[in-house]
Amino acid sequence: MGKLRFLLALWLAKLSVPVLKLTHHNGSNFPGIVAIRLCPDFLRYVGRPKTVVAVTGTNGKTTVSNLLSDLLEADGQRVMSNRSGSNMIFGISAAYVLNSDLLGRAGGKVDVAILEVDERSSLKVHPDLKPDYLVVTNLCRDSTMRHAHPDFMKGIITRALPKETKLILNADDMISCDIAPENPRVTYGIDRMPGDTVECVNLLNDRPVCPRCCGKLEYVYRRYHHFGKAVCRDCGFSSPESTYLARQVDTAQRTMVLTEDGEDHPYRLVSDSVFNIYNMVAVIAALRQLGWSHEKIRGYMDKAAVLSTRYQECDIGNYHVVSHLAKGLNAFATSRTFQYVADRPGRKELFLMINDLSCEHNWSENVCWLYDSDFELLARDEITQVVCTGLRGIDYKLRLLLAGVPEDRVFYEENDLKALELLHFTPGDDIYLLHDVEDYQTERLMNRITELANEHSAKEGERHEN
Amino acid sequence: MKIELLYPELCYLYGDLANVRYLKKCCPSAEVVETHYKDRPAFLDGGVDLVYMGSGTEDGLSRAAGALRPYRDDIAAAIDRGQRFLITGNALDIFGEAVHSDDGLEIEGLGLFPFHSDYQILKRVSTFFLGDFEGMTVVGFQCVFGYLDGAPETEGLFTLRRGVGRNLTSKVEGFRRNNFMGTHLIGPLLVLNPPFAKYLLRELGAGDLTLPFEDTAMAAYEKRAAEMADEKIDYNFH
Repeated sequence: MGKLRFLLALWLAKLSVPVLKLTHHNGSNFPGIVAIRLCPDFLRYVGRPKTVVAVTGTNGKTTVSNLLSDLLEADGQRVMSNRSGSNMIFGISAAYVLNSDLLGRAGGKVDVAILEVDERSSLKVHPDLKPDYLVVTNLCRDSTMRHAHPDFMKGIITRALPKETKLILNADDMISCDIAPENPRVTYGIDRMPGDTVECVNLLNDRPVCPRCCGKLEYVYRRYHHFGKAVCRDCGFSSPESTYLARQVDTAQRTMVLTEDGEDHPYRLVSDSVFNIYNMVAVIAALRQLGWSHEKIRGYMDKAAVLSTRYQECDIGNYHVVSHLAKGLNAFATSRTFQYVADRPGRKELFLMINDLSCEHNWSENVCWLYDSDFELLARDEITQVVCTGLRGIDYKLRLLLAGVPEDRVFYEENDLKALELLHFTPGDDIYLLHDVEDYQTERLMNRITELANEHSAKEGERHEN
Repeated sequence: MKIELLYPELCYLYGDLANVRYLKKCCPSAEVVETHYKDRPAFLDGGVDLVYMGSGTEDGLSRAAGALRPYRDDIAAAIDRGQRFLITGNALDIFGEAVHSDDGLEIEGLGLFPFHSDYQILKRVSTFFLGDFEGMTVVGFQCVFGYLDGAPETEGLFTLRRGVGRNLTSKVEGFRRNNFMGTHLIGPLLVLNPPFAKYLLRELGAGDLTLPFEDTAMAAYEKRAAEMADEKIDYNFH
């Protein structure tokens, strides 16, 4: 009966694809919705590709999944992914609907599945998906409403994971490293870097004490927040060693060495940001587990790029303009973005548009996370102006003032287009747009920033001529 | 003014610790004493004006409850004496009788208030709260695995106008006894509520202070209170 129901669900889900096209409807998840509604355990019955790699974690899972898929496809492998759909059960099921034959066999069409899995969806996905490998990028503070805290997510993933799944874990993240301790695992990490400290300088620190005995953790080095290498002098607990360790990371030269079993392998960095270097090392670790040689990985990695919608920069008139994702409701992700922006050279004018637009019209957005995020990083003198906007703009203004940003540098206007007019466009300043995930909003604002940058450049040109 | 921050290494979630940072910013001469897991709470020996404890992980709460349990009678006596407490978020749960969770977590509470908390670990509930405290409007947020049940007749901290109180049927939020103030509201409660912050500072002997950036804080507070009072705005997060 179960198999019959599965086949019926599969056929109707497949049928929904041309129907959507004929009726000019979008809906990349829709086949998955049909499949799961008709057969809730659809993933249990659908055929498996030879290898299934799931990628999860708070930050970086999209980048890692896409990079993995890109490299495998570049090598000529037939890759099934959910990159066009959601990372929840409907999007993952839709990928299976599209990539399996009428009997539900995926093996004939696909060599490997690379599936991004929302960590909160683990219990619905992993027991039936039974991934061969699970890459975990990290577990950090995310939406208070949905994800509670990283240790909660660690528990969810641990409960969901089959015992056979091999874990590919970030050794520098003491929380995700503790997932499913009985499962087989390899680890990756980045060795001590020049900017590392010992004490925590961030507001968020989700591993302040030893998870075993509550003793004080002594950090050998701390990258940021709870990331780094630590030991507990009371009970001997320590961060694991990295199977794949990035060393001699040189962001200026964009080079690093990957050490495995005592042998060094040179690599070119795909990005100069630390979080993307973590993503890159996670991809190398996963490909090594899939049997690729370092030479082969390097060959494809040299041509790779990280997803551009998360970060873009261009010169418009006299101005250098950068748009950077700063995920709203996520104190960790915003803190990392603030750090990156604050550390960039030159004077900057910032435009903050990181309200959660999906909340605006039906809920008074929870702003508690603002007080876990390092707005203090924006109090540096090189940041000459911060303009905040949106329904929660005044909360951002208050947070910035309490963080020590001088009052004469903080501006607030609820209407986003009017708020853009408040940017000074002082010659020599770079313009930064920090935005949430709503791309349509970013595009609209970038278009207006482009107009304003051109107008200010023209005025500046006229002044010089006169 | 001496403020004791209980177990910041266990109870550090959801922006709650901003309450203590804010009090220090409002009153720079205030002394903040951190009491860690293996330390004896300072207020037991007197001289502390405010004891603060905020939201923690479930494991953190369990450990904090274990650390405080030996002092249960002393804490009860301190409350009776008028020791001032501000307990926010799920830290309040351990002052009740017990915490039960559908994933097997059991925490024996301090039993200082006659309620218990039942967590449904996969049913996180997020709501906003609009209520009143001694003639002041109070705004805030709850994000919980379960509400507080029992003791409907005991005094609440806030009265409910919109949102959710101790549970879906309660008309009050939190608990109050003498100077003990416990609320399930999370985050920077004092930053979000300038009138309540000023009340607390007065009670702590700081006088009638002007809050840092008070105009902006009041504007944000009034805007939020108006939004939350708007019946068209749903108080549940979906």
